[in-house]
Amino acid sequence: MSLFLQTTINGLVLGGIYSLAAVGFSLIFGVIGIVNLTHGIFVVAGAYIAMLLFSVAGIDPLLAIVPIGAILFAVGYAYQRTIINWAISRASVEASLVVTFGMAMVFRNLLQLWFGPDVQTITPSYSFDSVTLGPIRVDMVRLAALGASMALLTGLTLMLARTHFGRAMRAVAQQPLASSLSGLNVKRIHGLTFGVSAALAGASGAIIGIVQPFSASSEVAWTLNAFIVVVLGGIGSPAGALVGGLVLGLINAYTATYLGPALTQAMMFLVLVLMLLLRPQGILGNAYGESR
Amino acid sequence: MTRSPMKRAVALALVAAAAIAVALLPQALGPFHIRVLQFFFFAAATAVAWNILGGFAGYWSFGHTVSIGVGAFSAAHFGLIFGQAEGPWGMVLPLLAGGLVSGVFALIIAYPLLRLRGTYFAIAMLGVSQVVAELANNLSVFQGGVGLFLPSPVPSGMAPERFYYYAFAALLALCLGVSWAVKRSKFGYALLSIREDEDTAQMLGVATERYKIAAFVLSASLVGLLGAVYGYSLGYFTTYSVFRLDFSLNMIVFCLIGGIGTLFGPVIGAALLLFLTNVLLSDFLDIHLMLTGALVVATILLMPGGILRAGATLPWKRRARKEAKA
Repeated sequence: MSLFLQTTINGLVLGGIYSLAAVGFSLIFGVIGIVNLTHGIFVVAGAYIAMLLFSVAGIDPLLAIVPIGAILFAVGYAYQRTIINWAISRASVEASLVVTFGMAMVFRNLLQLWFGPDVQTITPSYSFDSVTLGPIRVDMVRLAALGASMALLTGLTLMLARTHFGRAMRAVAQQPLASSLSGLNVKRIHGLTFGVSAALAGASGAIIGIVQPFSASSEVAWTLNAFIVVVLGGIGSPAGALVGGLVLGLINAYTATYLGPALTQAMMFLVLVLMLLLRPQGILGNAYGESR
Repeated sequence: MTRSPMKRAVALALVAAAAIAVALLPQALGPFHIRVLQFFFFAAATAVAWNILGGFAGYWSFGHTVSIGVGAFSAAHFGLIFGQAEGPWGMVLPLLAGGLVSGVFALIIAYPLLRLRGTYFAIAMLGVSQVVAELANNLSVFQGGVGLFLPSPVPSGMAPERFYYYAFAALLALCLGVSWAVKRSKFGYALLSIREDEDTAQMLGVATERYKIAAFVLSASLVGLLGAVYGYSLGYFTTYSVFRLDFSLNMIVFCLIGGIGTLFGPVIGAALLLFLTNVLLSDFLDIHLMLTGALVVATILLMPGGILRAGATLPWKRRARKEAKA
């Protein structure tokens, strides 16, 4: 029984991090309709910047979320306004899938050249502390990571629901043409959406850095995870990402404990394929209706 | 499709010249370059086969390496169960088994998977390839973890790289022949209509479901056959030497760069990219990934139709046409 409880807790903690890592991907998919295969790069770049800030300036990775978010926001905005925009206007939305894929290869190579191909970890002073509650034990870092993820997801939800910018973003997602007729600068909002999404991915990278080992080539796994989370939970909303992330975390943890860690990948993709066939819009459905 | 006899004669002459060039080329080259060409024929042939589903019908599979893996595993297990005759002809039955099992496997997964479209189909195929690879690796029946040996079919007195050079060249010719026959048939036009507008095609009475499945099975059988020969050329292989993500990606990238949906586009893309990475930049291994990525991005931005359609899609040409219209 305590094994089951422990596995469940581990799965939920992992799931919280998956949610944050995927929410930006979901936002871009929902608002612009692009599958951004560069997403994993943003995550891994966040982890590398956190590692640099920690080793050079001694900044705690959880505090580093702020500068990392700012840097990646700028990168994401610039990326959308240039390359992504060119791809959509010159070719098609489908072509942008391939462009993001090509850019992911370029960026992965650059990260490998800068930081080397080795697997890295970030170990702040509280790395080996843990909290025990009866028979259940949770690492301090994982708890902190989960807390930070939930805080950021809540912040995003409030922004989408309450602020002018959030409302504009939802409007552009539902009716791009009507929004531009009502005076919204659709291109700018697309750029800002990319910025927000990259910032969130970078923040999740900083958090992932203290919880798990990472390397430039793990970007593929994070992009795929994001896709699975979105397919499971539903497109476009933080709530969908949360549900999808938690489900994925649980699947991962239960498979690793009860079937063997070698089968987690296979199980994740099996669930993905089944989900695509049975309920392709995800558990919570597309946040922006039938427009896509 | 009617063609002038003149054009047909030129086409035949070109094919004959290409065949003679391919047949004689190994005389002039060292083992390394024969090996590079051998891999080029293999990679180009997989891309041509991918193109039947991805290029003609518009269903992009991101996990086509699953067919290479299934083909290689089937050939090896067929040999283990039924035994294998000596010499090159002993390879034939296991190869057919590889192609057949791969086709049957595609037939089984086609019905549910081809209901998905666009990105969803692409990623679902990626999922299938991952799942099958892990099962092949972890279930001891398949022996993917410890690896499988294949007896060498190379006739004595012949260098193995030459044998596989000719084998893969023949398979590339086969794939091109099939692709050409598909493209000019009613089947090919049906696939084209699916790519352009599936719903309309269905409404007009095209049996889209059946054509899609046929294209998928055909493509997977060819790739399975290639995978089986690839298994022989390795001699010993494990799960991860045949279920390779980069094989899946290569098929897409070659088609994309050469011209997706065209007959020779995949071959041209493969030639260009492999020449670039294996010959020109063989000393700069650490930037291959960046180069490939940059080339893909540049192709999409500058000539979205690939090299073979570059004439019509270069930005300045488009601008000129727009001005001419206005």
